[in-house]
Amino acid sequence: MNRIIEVKHLSKNFGSNEVLRDINFSVSKGEVVCIIGASGSGKSTLLRCLNLLEHPTSGEILYHGQNILEHKMTTAVYRAKMGMVFQQFNLFNNLSVLDNCVVGQVKVLKKDKEAAKKTAMEYLELVGMSQFITAKPNQISGGQKQRVAIARALSMEPEALLFDEPTSALDPEMVGEVLKVMKTLANSGLTMLVVTHEMGFARDVANRVVFMDEGIIAEEDVPEVIFNNPKNERTRIFLKRILERDY
Amino acid sequence: MSADASFFAWVSFIWQQNWPLFLRGAGNTIYIALTGTIIGFVVGVLIGVIRTIPIEHNTNLVKKVFLKIVDFVLLAYIEIFRGTPMMVQAMVLFYGTAIVFGVHLPLIAAGIFIVSINTGAYMAEIVRGGILSIDKGQFEAAHAIGMTHSQTMTSVILPQAIRNILPATSNEFVINIKDTAVLSIISISELFFMSKSAAGANFRYFETFLITCVVYFIMTFTVTRILRWIEIKLDGPSVYTIHGSQSVPEAQFRIVDGGQ
Repeated sequence: MNRIIEVKHLSKNFGSNEVLRDINFSVSKGEVVCIIGASGSGKSTLLRCLNLLEHPTSGEILYHGQNILEHKMTTAVYRAKMGMVFQQFNLFNNLSVLDNCVVGQVKVLKKDKEAAKKTAMEYLELVGMSQFITAKPNQISGGQKQRVAIARALSMEPEALLFDEPTSALDPEMVGEVLKVMKTLANSGLTMLVVTHEMGFARDVANRVVFMDEGIIAEEDVPEVIFNNPKNERTRIFLKRILERDY
Repeated sequence: MSADASFFAWVSFIWQQNWPLFLRGAGNTIYIALTGTIIGFVVGVLIGVIRTIPIEHNTNLVKKVFLKIVDFVLLAYIEIFRGTPMMVQAMVLFYGTAIVFGVHLPLIAAGIFIVSINTGAYMAEIVRGGILSIDKGQFEAAHAIGMTHSQTMTSVILPQAIRNILPATSNEFVINIKDTAVLSIISISELFFMSKSAAGANFRYFETFLITCVVYFIMTFTVTRILRWIEIKLDGPSVYTIHGSQSVPEAQFRIVDGGQ
């Protein structure tokens, strides 16, 4: 199996607050892994550690067997290989939709501008935003912004794409268009790690679902087991609460 | 010109007699203020960028210590030049260099230097505020695609920060136009200095300085209009073009955005 990322004994403290405790897991090429769990369970922190937006307190992150927390590889080179899609989109507000997808390729990958534009157009086409290339981020809707953010990450041609609650800041009517794009990507064989509250997406698209609870991985299995027959009591309670919301 | 001539007659007489003085003074004022503001702006941007360099977990110790020292020096510069009057700085610098080092600075150059370092000190904090006003998410997104601090700054953050601090910058420019008056203390022939000699020729202070007022106002008002125009230009168009599909490239139409 071709492991892209392997996490060993990863811990993260914010002061005296232990957010992640002894996390072990791995992602292989072509896998779609969904991370679910309650707010504050450490899902986002784990994802941010994988992109080094947070520095782990202890443990190892192996990228193709190489520990990226040692100085072997520069942070920037590694980050370019791990795409990231944020809850708040975080598009560059001064740049047009097209330039959002071009700037990283030119500055980081040192591609020439024409080639970068061509790549960007391909991915903007894929997410259905190629008509809006001259628009600025503040002129398009939330769902459109997130699709551009996905195209921006894809334009860097990363080995894996990390999604940090990509639909949580969207109006309900826009969630679908983003999930549809993500499903297309998953089917095309892209390696994806998705922190999400969209249980339907996790059930239908994921190869594997990771349930996190209070900073540890409480259960990890194929979606059929997690959703139909969870072994851990906490998983059962969490899913019951989220799937059978009552008021 | 008789002493009991009308007020307007005096104003008109003083202008006709001294207009080359006023214009030369105004020219020097705008030259010093403009150059000083531009240099100060550049200094401010550089300091703002340097002071926001993040210290990360893998920053090595030498770099960490170096950044701390640089930060301290820059902070000292900002505090000292914001905390003392420009008039006093002009005296210290001009007479200091002459007496201690035996160097006689050219007057206009000395004026530009003093205005620049003063503006730099203020602009450094304005730029830092401008950088902090950009939401953290855009820094993270830039870092997440592998951009370095300087790439993030030049491609993403500064274009937005500079747009945001333009109103404060035009404030600085206007203040500089007016505050060059204090440079008359070291005999720089800017507008206030020239007005004093014009007034001295007739002992007509009120009429002379009324003309000076008008000249200052024309300069500041013009400058604020120009900077406002630049702001509008930088904001770009509020409409964008929908691009048709590849097969019908001429299928383009414009829509007006709902926001802003």
